[in-house]
Amino acid sequence: MNWKIAVGASLACIALVVILARGFGRDPHEVPFMLKGKPAPDFKLRTLDTGHQISLAELRGKPVVINFWATWCGPCRLEHPVLVWASREYGSQIQFLGAIFEDTEENARAYLSQNGTPYPQLVDPLSRTAVDYGVAGVPETYFIDAAGVIRGKYAQPIDPKTMAAQLKSLLEARASAEVQK
Amino acid sequence: MTAALVALPVSIALLTGAYAPQQAGSAPLEPTLEARVHKLGKELRCAVCQGLSIADSPASMARAQLDKVRELVAAGKSDEEIRSYFVARYGEWVLLSPPAHGFNWLVWIAPAALILVGFAVIIRQIQRGAPSASGALAKPRVDPQAVEPSSPTIAAPTAGDEYLQRVRSELDQ
Amino acid sequence: MNSSLGCGLVLGALACAVFGAVVGIGTGLARRDSGTPWVIRAAVGFFLCMLLANLTMVWALVSHDFSVKYVAHVGSRATPLVYTVVSLWSALEGSILFWGIILGTYVLAFALTNRGQHARYLSLALGTMLGIGVFFAFLIAGPANPFSPVSPLPADGPGPNPLLQNHVLMVIHPPMLYLGYVGMTIPFGIAVAALLRGDLGEAWTATLRRWTLIPWTFLSVGIILGSWWAYAVLGWGGYWAWDPVENASFLPWLTATAFIHSTMVQERRKILKLWTLSLALATFLLTILGTFMTRSGVFNSVHSFTQSDIGPTFLVFISLLLVFSIALLSTRGQMVAAEGKLRSPLSRESAILVNNLLFVGITFTVLLGTLFPLVTEAVRGVRVSVGEPYFNRMAVPGGVAVLFLMGVGPMLPWGSANPQLVKKQLLLPTAIGIAVALACLAFGLRGFLPILTFGLAGFVGTLTLRELLLPASVRIAEHREKPWTALLRSASRARRRFGGYVVHLGMVMIFVAIAASSSFVTHTSGTLRVGQSLKVGDYGVKLVGFQTGAEPHRRWKAANVELVGRDGRAETLAPRMNFFERSTDPIGTPAVRSSLFGDVYISLLAFSDEERTATFNAWIFPMVGWIWWSIPILVLGAVIAIWPARKSKVARLGTPQSSASDRVATADADRGAA
Repeated sequence: MNWKIAVGASLACIALVVILARGFGRDPHEVPFMLKGKPAPDFKLRTLDTGHQISLAELRGKPVVINFWATWCGPCRLEHPVLVWASREYGSQIQFLGAIFEDTEENARAYLSQNGTPYPQLVDPLSRTAVDYGVAGVPETYFIDAAGVIRGKYAQPIDPKTMAAQLKSLLEARASAEVQK
Repeated sequence: MTAALVALPVSIALLTGAYAPQQAGSAPLEPTLEARVHKLGKELRCAVCQGLSIADSPASMARAQLDKVRELVAAGKSDEEIRSYFVARYGEWVLLSPPAHGFNWLVWIAPAALILVGFAVIIRQIQRGAPSASGALAKPRVDPQAVEPSSPTIAAPTAGDEYLQRVRSELDQ
Repeated sequence: MNSSLGCGLVLGALACAVFGAVVGIGTGLARRDSGTPWVIRAAVGFFLCMLLANLTMVWALVSHDFSVKYVAHVGSRATPLVYTVVSLWSALEGSILFWGIILGTYVLAFALTNRGQHARYLSLALGTMLGIGVFFAFLIAGPANPFSPVSPLPADGPGPNPLLQNHVLMVIHPPMLYLGYVGMTIPFGIAVAALLRGDLGEAWTATLRRWTLIPWTFLSVGIILGSWWAYAVLGWGGYWAWDPVENASFLPWLTATAFIHSTMVQERRKILKLWTLSLALATFLLTILGTFMTRSGVFNSVHSFTQSDIGPTFLVFISLLLVFSIALLSTRGQMVAAEGKLRSPLSRESAILVNNLLFVGITFTVLLGTLFPLVTEAVRGVRVSVGEPYFNRMAVPGGVAVLFLMGVGPMLPWGSANPQLVKKQLLLPTAIGIAVALACLAFGLRGFLPILTFGLAGFVGTLTLRELLLPASVRIAEHREKPWTALLRSASRARRRFGGYVVHLGMVMIFVAIAASSSFVTHTSGTLRVGQSLKVGDYGVKLVGFQTGAEPHRRWKAANVELVGRDGRAETLAPRMNFFERSTDPIGTPAVRSSLFGDVYISLLAFSDEERTATFNAWIFPMVGWIWWSIPILVLGAVIAIWPARKSKVARLGTPQSSASDRVATADADRGAA
């Protein structure tokens, strides 16, 4: 009886320790990214400055980068220059969009008037679009290819190298798609 | 103990002291539908919190998710469709109760299985120790609890006295 | 200076612990008593070093000595003094230092109260406890050193986490929890000593029992205070979220409670010795597992400390403890053989066995649920969540079963029962239980589970009160004592029994409060302009204005509301939002109006300055206050049970040749020493 219990208890404890050990190194706050390879949810949002509507469907044919951000989010402010740079570099080939997440229009206008933005900023009332995309915090940047499929997501403040790499892959995908046509 | 924030933990450095404006959500629906919204809200996990449901969490992200639930309920979607909507975007992780399929059956069945096995063990122990086997245990024990209601050597008077005697003897410890 | 002093003291504590552990276990295994005085001295040394180290840290915090790493991490000139002192336990390294002094205090208290007795076991027990101290002292001295010097010297620090500065309960909840948690090291040492020695005498069992009850009491109070804090501070209206760290504190409580009951069976019927010792070991193992869960960064929890490197160290420690415990139990287990048998299903020992099964089942369920996300990720690579809905669904049947047993168990006699007698004894409580249930239905309450709970509460309450008062009424009848005297005398003659039943009454209160406050909640939410009001239950909530305030560590904005009850009386409440320097999201403080029958709970969700509106969540939670008001009852019952009786001290020492009795086999010499 003793040996059976000892062996059984040992196996259970080994399983316990292994499972706990496997837990190291993974981020318990990370949210699964489900929409990779899926069509990007359509939206129709108005821009902050002009008020005219932009919908994702009418941008089909050109890769799109959507960046969710907020003025109260420190890392968003940190990455803003990277986005401005990228939109200036690649703006002719790729459509950049910003989506304001859980913030007031006054805050956004005040921030943007100081820091500038070369691409349209969209107002997302009640964060419907953010939830539609599975956003779990800011900043998050989504990379959508010309066919409207989400290719990647970056859920941290983006740096120039990552941005360049992601954009290049978007453009390559588009180029190869065009060759196939 | 450092408690991680209930709301958005993404911001690490606060450079300017700006605060996320706490904006009100969409207007509640009529009572039966709103009750459905609340019930579903209790089952869905807030994407930025430490395990709270979107119905309970004060975070703005949670409020946005709850608004989405409200929109879907108002649009006539079924509970299952609403859950699949969130699972499609946030993964199985967004359901606070693991859906009972495949591997998840383990977490639903194992507790009941353990209790049943335990009961079986107890019953076996009782059967092993049944009065027929107690002859082997007739060693003179210094047992102050001399009075047992079931002991045949005592001319048991009324049930009340038996009880009283039991309580009395228990107290003499 | 503080840095080096602190580091030195911690190393001193480590040295004392190592010395005490080696000498204690060495001389204990060699069955010599000569080492015991040295082990006691080592315990004194460990305590003094830890005490001084903690005082040094508090001094560094209060004097804002930012050259010390921990102070630079959590100190701030803006934080009020109370929270500065309390920040000793607000972050990881400081809390391990705090763990050290609590452990030192417990070990010293144990050593001093048992000095001169239990010569067979004492050095083994103290050696084991100091061995655990070695691990924690090593952690403080090495990987989690709060005293490391910092340079360049910062001018100010970020302050403790804002959530921990919001309420005075932060001052008392962690110490209570630590006193409970860390205290479980003592019964661990006692149990290990028994296993190492190869037998478990009556007197040593009594020691084991008492020294489990003491931390159990603190742990119970700590858990309830924690749930009160969650309720009063976090603003979501709940008090228990089945958060991984909450579960981590609950698991050892469950096994400790199972232990307290099984030890009674061991004492009366001489069976279940190995099981009882296993429970004692499991309780301690669960506290270490729990502290791993809190500190490793592996779990997503409100309580998690920030990511740290000590996770792997803890895991190694847990593995060592598991190996040690399994080895000990399997090799020494047969030495603590049972001397009796379980005879009848209708007996108290069977009821306690079922109680143990239920508690172990609940422990397993909570542990499995908490670990399941990790398991799934390891096996399937997919993340799942196991949260409140799952745990509530699993816990409710278990809780109802436990409540039922709480009534039936004390009513059944030891040995075996006369079924006729049992039936007769059940009549009155069952009648009262059914009457309570019917009364609830008559009052318009609906819902199978809450009404079942209330009916069972009536049943259990009647049974428990009868068991409590019957001896007193016998005394009144026979000795013609006054009621109060009779009650006191009957209590003091059978402390453990009386205290245990008082604790049961407290638990019934908690069950009733939980059932009422979860099943009959009224909830409203809405946005109001100044002058508008919304209705929640029988109350009206009217927004009357706004208020702002500023303190050194936070700014706040409150919405003044007028709460009007059914009787027309109005009172003002002010739910708030607090804005701290360190966080982007404000932290709300709800406004709660408590009364005997329930709480009105209002939290401020949002406000708009331009439109002068505010959004609220308002709830009515019936009877929720009874959960925290049960604390005095639980403590009273535990104190009565723990209080040593003078005559049992004599019994514990056995024959008049006091310590000599320990060397003689004490298997059946004395019974039931309290």
